[in-house]
Amino acid sequence: MKKLDMNLDQYNEIRESEKPVLVEFWAPWCVYCRRIAPAYDKIAEQYEDKLVVGKINVDDVPEAAKQEKIEAIPAMLLYKGGEVVGSIVAPDSKAKIEAFIEEHL
Amino acid sequence: MEHIYDVIIIGGGPGGYTAALYSARAGLDVLLLEKLSAGGQMALTSQIDNYPGFEEGVDGYELAEKMQAGAERFGAKTELAEVYALHLTEAVKKVETSEGDFYGRTVVISTGASPRELGLEQEARLVGRGVNYCAACDGMFYKGKTVAVVGGGNTAAADAMLLSRICEKVYVIHRRNELRATKIYHDPLMQAENVEFIWDSVVTDLIAADSLQGLRLKQVKTEEERELPVDGVFVSIGRKPVTELLAGQIELDGAGYIIADESTRTNLPGVFAVGDVRTKALRQVVTAVADGAVASHYIDEYLAEQKQ
Repeated sequence: MKKLDMNLDQYNEIRESEKPVLVEFWAPWCVYCRRIAPAYDKIAEQYEDKLVVGKINVDDVPEAAKQEKIEAIPAMLLYKGGEVVGSIVAPDSKAKIEAFIEEHL
Repeated sequence: MEHIYDVIIIGGGPGGYTAALYSARAGLDVLLLEKLSAGGQMALTSQIDNYPGFEEGVDGYELAEKMQAGAERFGAKTELAEVYALHLTEAVKKVETSEGDFYGRTVVISTGASPRELGLEQEARLVGRGVNYCAACDGMFYKGKTVAVVGGGNTAAADAMLLSRICEKVYVIHRRNELRATKIYHDPLMQAENVEFIWDSVVTDLIAADSLQGLRLKQVKTEEERELPVDGVFVSIGRKPVTELLAGQIELDGAGYIIADESTRTNLPGVFAVGDVRTKALRQVVTAVADGAVASHYIDEYLAEQKQ
């Protein structure tokens, strides 16, 4: 599945997917989020078969950010059966995002 | 038979991509390894006003994308890979990465610098839970709250200015009794009503449960300690070169920078250091790109010598 920007309804629905779900919380004004974007796109492609990969713009969907107590971005949360099984803040390499996924998958 | 590149460049900041551009234009087979995206520290700066040619300033991330595209236009390749180990002493150098091993006749180190940490217990655990290194990234989460900025240089001053517009209260904690920052920052900061300076003080501990609740401070002259309740702390105490993988292999100075002069040559034949990672007087985008061009010149010379 292509990485997608989610609204609140999509977020609530997709989180419950059978496949594990990776969600990046980001914002357009977050300079570090931009740096991660190319790597996150690659991750979405690479893990197409294993994961649903999405993004939440914390300005557009503040409810989701509040619910997950997001205090810094970019933050990535991995969900299994609707529950958060792991999170990582501002990973500084594509390899670190992969290691995070592999650890919790 | 492994492919052997003429040049492997480690780090996709302005120095790295200029070395890639010049080397590719010189007809060399160039691979650049970048762990995240082009630009390095520059990519976190949305407005660069001291890179010539842009009268309105330029966005660092966009400038980085253009530098990458420019180098790739002449055949340089980029691989999104994190480097795990370097073997630089042989004629053919080996680079072990998350995407496999790569081999090159020359290696350019352009790994740059990263924010210096406070070095306190719990610090790593509290990143994203009150401990921050990027005011432009995370400042918005502290809207109407109380924060502290640690440091007294230009970055600390700029961070404090930015946060003073968002937060209820901003403490600036500095180990000296005046800012090191350029004078243009002083007046606006001193005049900001919600900015309070705590001079001659250092952070000795982070007070936290799930997230940060406050800082333990020590007045360095009186040795007096006290607690300061804050919702967040922004650490702006300078940068450190990214040279952990090189220790014991290449000559570094006391602060960890690679010892190389304006020629960018290191003590190892065929290994060059460009940009913020090398010993130099002024660390700027313009001096990094200059290094990239100079490195390419000496790479050419080195490869020609090797052929003889």
